[in-house]
Amino acid sequence: MIDIPVEVVVALLGWGTLVGLDLVSLPQIMISRPIVVGAVAGWLSGDLATGVTVGVIMELFALESVAIGAARYPDYGAATMGAVVASTGIEGHGLTGIAVVLGLVLVSVGGWTLNRLRHANATAVRRREASLRAGDPLAVQALQYGGLLRDLARSVTLSVVALLSGVVVRTAPALPHWAASGLLMVVIGGGLAGAASGAIRSAGRGRRLRWLGVGALLGMLLLVLRS
Amino acid sequence: MKAPLWRAFLRLFSVQGVWNYERMLGIGMGYAALPLLQEMRRQDPAGYREAVARQAEFFNAQPYLAGLALGATTRAEYQGVPGEKILRLRTALCGPLGALGDQLFWTGILPALVSAALVMVAFGLAGAGLLGFLVVFNGIRVAVEWWGLRAGWASGLQVSEVLHKSWLPKAVALAGPVAGFAMGVALPVVAGWLVADLDLVVMAGTLGAAGIAVVMARVNPRVTGLRFTLGVATIILLSAWVGV
Repeated sequence: MIDIPVEVVVALLGWGTLVGLDLVSLPQIMISRPIVVGAVAGWLSGDLATGVTVGVIMELFALESVAIGAARYPDYGAATMGAVVASTGIEGHGLTGIAVVLGLVLVSVGGWTLNRLRHANATAVRRREASLRAGDPLAVQALQYGGLLRDLARSVTLSVVALLSGVVVRTAPALPHWAASGLLMVVIGGGLAGAASGAIRSAGRGRRLRWLGVGALLGMLLLVLRS
Repeated sequence: MKAPLWRAFLRLFSVQGVWNYERMLGIGMGYAALPLLQEMRRQDPAGYREAVARQAEFFNAQPYLAGLALGATTRAEYQGVPGEKILRLRTALCGPLGALGDQLFWTGILPALVSAALVMVAFGLAGAGLLGFLVVFNGIRVAVEWWGLRAGWASGLQVSEVLHKSWLPKAVALAGPVAGFAMGVALPVVAGWLVADLDLVVMAGTLGAAGIAVVMARVNPRVTGLRFTLGVATIILLSAWVGV
């Protein structure tokens, strides 16, 4: 049984669908970034703080991959929503580790669906090849709306899967303390490593690398001043 | 021509709506071009259909800069430029608009602003940080997209020269170091925030896991943070399942 009020389920599914569309198709205004998805999903679930924490951890992983053109990239939108559902409402960090692991699995599933969508779009384009060569504007419009509808269907499906997976994890038997702690260590550590690796890789060997170093020194200084 | 430009601009928000491995952004570009070609539809129906076919051909670039190519090639259609030359212009623009756009947005502005938002979250300013990220990013994106469409429309075949002399290459050169600096600040601040409430053993384990994962990624770039985490998590979950 889903232990979440119906209106929250509907809101979460709507949110998951919106961010799924935002990733590539429409309007790409970055609401699909995990840090945004997590905060809003947490707010909708009544636990903003946990949503923000899960969103930040997922964002660290997302910073490692760059969503460039034809590259295959993961879909963090619905995955982050599923991770938030799995971890909200529980005191402390008991479920954060396993929730983020679930989110990362969903990220890979989302990336796979995106690849299938692109193939489905290609098939649709091939079917209308003759009309396109003849410059039929209706064919162009039909393909455009068809592509958006396919992504809508993909996003709805992914949101349902993410939500149900989140509910399964939050209602599953509790993990032993050592395993929950171990998962928490590895998701935060892996996320930090992902973001650091992404930062180092994109910095190359030039000016950007030097500025990365300067920034890291300032960050550590801020950390010391704050503690 | 202002109303068709606006309609084309709005359609650019879904320029990747039918992204595929064959024409990439081509169909989205064709869809966005339709309002700009309306005048031609009345004046020269046969030429209009040829133009629609061309505009929906293969195209790939960073989506926020696609408007520059859209404006330039649709203007060229009105200037009576031969179709083959327009197609060559489209193809020639793919590389620069992809490279400049990716460096400006995907590896520059986006990571810089996400890093700033992460720092604000760590300092207890989550609402302002996230709202600021969305407003600033989209403010820049909309301004650049509108500039691109208008600059392309105004320049036609001279778009490459306009692009070369524009502010864009300078902004790209600046975006990289700014993003590097912002990510540098964010990493230790966020790490400190995430481990602040953990007990010492878990905190040490977390930082140890991060160190091991970074070293593994340096040795083999295929070992991403995501793969490392899923691999170790599988071992932990299997161990818990068999009751180790």
